[in-house]
Amino acid sequence: MEALFSGLSALYLAKCDAAKTGQVFQAFLPASTLVRAAERLLAADYYIEDICAVDCAEGYVVVYHFDHFEAPGRVTLRVLAPHASPVVPSIANVFHGAEWHERETRDFHGVVFEGNPNLIPLLMDPDMADCFPLRKEDKARAKAKDMLEAGEVVYCHPSFTLMTPDAPAEAKESGGDKPATA
Amino acid sequence: MTTYQNNDHLAGDFYTQNFAKTAGEGNLILNLGPQHPSTHGVLRVVVELDGEYIMRAEPVLGYLHRMHEKMAEVKTAAQFIPNMGRVDYGHALGWNWAFVGAAELVGGIEVPERAEYIRVITCELNRIASHLLWWGAYLLDLGAFTPIMYAFDDREKILDILQDPTGSRLTYSYYRIGGVAKDLSADCIRRIQEFIPWFRSRLPMYKDLVSDNIILRKRIEDIGVIEQEVCRRFGATGPVARGSGIKYDVRRAQPYSVYPKLDFEIPTSNLKCARGRYDVRMAEMEQSLRIIEQALEMMPEGEVLVKGAPKPSWKVPKGEGYFAVEGARGKIGAYVVSDGGKNIYRTKLRAPGYCNLSLFAEVSQGTILADAVAILGSLDLIIPEIDR
Repeated sequence: MEALFSGLSALYLAKCDAAKTGQVFQAFLPASTLVRAAERLLAADYYIEDICAVDCAEGYVVVYHFDHFEAPGRVTLRVLAPHASPVVPSIANVFHGAEWHERETRDFHGVVFEGNPNLIPLLMDPDMADCFPLRKEDKARAKAKDMLEAGEVVYCHPSFTLMTPDAPAEAKESGGDKPATA
Repeated sequence: MTTYQNNDHLAGDFYTQNFAKTAGEGNLILNLGPQHPSTHGVLRVVVELDGEYIMRAEPVLGYLHRMHEKMAEVKTAAQFIPNMGRVDYGHALGWNWAFVGAAELVGGIEVPERAEYIRVITCELNRIASHLLWWGAYLLDLGAFTPIMYAFDDREKILDILQDPTGSRLTYSYYRIGGVAKDLSADCIRRIQEFIPWFRSRLPMYKDLVSDNIILRKRIEDIGVIEQEVCRRFGATGPVARGSGIKYDVRRAQPYSVYPKLDFEIPTSNLKCARGRYDVRMAEMEQSLRIIEQALEMMPEGEVLVKGAPKPSWKVPKGEGYFAVEGARGKIGAYVVSDGGKNIYRTKLRAPGYCNLSLFAEVSQGTILADAVAILGSLDLIIPEIDR
């Protein structure tokens, strides 16, 4: 599984317990290599399950779920999109079904997927396309490491502190705007 | 006499204006739905027609969008269970199960064995009811009126059975975090036992009268071919994937509950067309009967709700979990991220119909309009589930 992500400058790779979290592997990637990771997953016969965003204190964690028809086991890709300018490259040209999931994520969280062929409102009324119902207020946001499964770490980039427990409050490498209390 | 003239119908709305036309000269743009007898619920499809042929189709969603994921943010986990029946009225118990399963996964809650069997029995009965609803409505789309009368006759019996333990007939809210709300009564079990042979006797009749009917065969054979690679790119699951020869069923692939103890087959078809999906669903009803039969026999006595089961104010502990079940339309997924607060921090509902419909634009290209209706119906769409 780790081989699938070699050369993609992954920030964080971890094995997870499927019986406890429903996923077998997770990878935090920089936005720049997301599309290449999706291409590799498609080449390895994975199918796309869904895409969603989680509004955390550090930014929007965009979560991509993939699974396999012949060798079941959910693989999760994660990308951090800063609150100030949440832009993530689109994988809709690799997994065509991602187009709708990305449009839905834009509707709910305002994350922009660059390269999506048709990024117009899907579920929300076009007249209220910019109300982003699932965005949280600053004080309601929780830290990613308090909620997301850390798993059994295989690799962690030294500058990647999003999932490191008890990390001192320091500037995040991602450039996401920090909450006032951090 | 008024000077005001409403020309909106000429200009089109937001979605018609944003519809990327192909280069064809003189092509016609047609809005199929949102209120149209052949698009179930309120699905709208903008199609570009060259004569009778579809050049491009674009489903327009959102007419039934209720933002269940936002509602999950303002309710406790237990309070959110009734929403599940409203997401998909066809297979409400499958959705019940996906959500309580995710809460149990993150909360580390065990479910008593009797409750697991009750879940299997009621969920499979609900699956048969869902397939019957699809079967009747699909044939109605294709111009056959009588089958839905038979389908609803059978379905009515299932609704009568499920009414006893669940207290409702359509939008069930029966599963609880840690079990189910009520035990099956002796009378209910007797009625299920009577239903199985009765429904089994109906299936050959449906095969003779409907499935082998030459008019139906001409309408659905070789229509809407979906390749396996398309299923992967769009994330199609359930009978749509199995109708394309992919032997994938969450009950076997990612076993949950007591399904590993039960003996049943996963029907698949290599036809890849609407006929393949039709055959898979018809065969699945027989398999569901087998499952119910075995589950009734193996069901132990005991509690149906775990001792110290979560109260309505129970907080889901910190963590994330993804729980999937096999619904009538495919893989139903509930992804839960909790910060340990009163309400779940983020709930994501994966609707199988959403992914199955997303491939329609690609599959319908180049077919004639009447076949597009046959393809839409073969995907078994429940619009509230797609829009959520």
